[in-house]
Amino acid sequence: MAPRDKRLSSTPLEILFFLNGWYYATYFLLELLIFLYKGLLLPYPTANLVLDVVMLLLYLGIEVIRLFFGTKGNLCQRKMPLGISVALTFPSAMMASYYLLLQTYVLRLEAIMNSILLFFCGSELLLEMLTLATFSSMDRI
Amino acid sequence: MGRISGLVPSRFLTLLAHLVIVITLFWSRESNIQACLPLKFTPEEYEKQDNQLVAALCLTLGLFAVELAGFLSGVSMFNSTQSLLSIAAHCSASVALSFFIFERWECTTYWYIFAFCSAFPAVTETALFIAVFGLKKKPF
Repeated sequence: MAPRDKRLSSTPLEILFFLNGWYYATYFLLELLIFLYKGLLLPYPTANLVLDVVMLLLYLGIEVIRLFFGTKGNLCQRKMPLGISVALTFPSAMMASYYLLLQTYVLRLEAIMNSILLFFCGSELLLEMLTLATFSSMDRI
Repeated sequence: MGRISGLVPSRFLTLLAHLVIVITLFWSRESNIQACLPLKFTPEEYEKQDNQLVAALCLTLGLFAVELAGFLSGVSMFNSTQSLLSIAAHCSASVALSFFIFERWECTTYWYIFAFCSAFPAVTETALFIAVFGLKKKPF
């Protein structure tokens, strides 16, 4: 553990987690409405629709856990929760790229919103790596 | 602080909503350009209007960069006046631009939306930048 008086938590990372949480909430609501729109207007096979909606719920779970552990790990200066958050970044980015490229119908709106999510994932991964490095380098001293 | 903290995410989300609509406009600008041309137009005329609209959209993206930089660097993140101004401007920009796309407004109307809803908050943001970094004022 790092000494108590040293603050090693990364402020940019915390800002990113905070904004990502709000952005994800908006994204989730919007995506549900988009599925409603696509289900009503386009010839959407039921199996595909169910698959996409279930994947979206799974994505919600992954993202909530990732952001929760990320914030806790960053603020409490613990490596383990931050490591879990780093590990969960990859499935989260996979899900974003699924909705960007592989789902049945990709709207332009979805393409842009998923690219923003991928951008969030990338910058958070970078900052998490840097913060993890800071935490572990302070442990040895 | 509790009242301000609600402004921070709402400002970010309205900024992103405006950004998303502007990027969508890059893809679907043909009908707007046709709306401000006569019924029979030459490819040169189309090219001229297209270049103007693309220039306006690129300028908008540049102003977004200014405003997001100010927001994320903390210059104006907790400044409630700038936040409210920015929320109002970008919210009205999002509504106006969705009308712009759906109702196929003439492409010249974009400049008005640009001036009031994109340039105006960016100018106040630049003023804050100067106040914070040039005059060493406290950011909030």
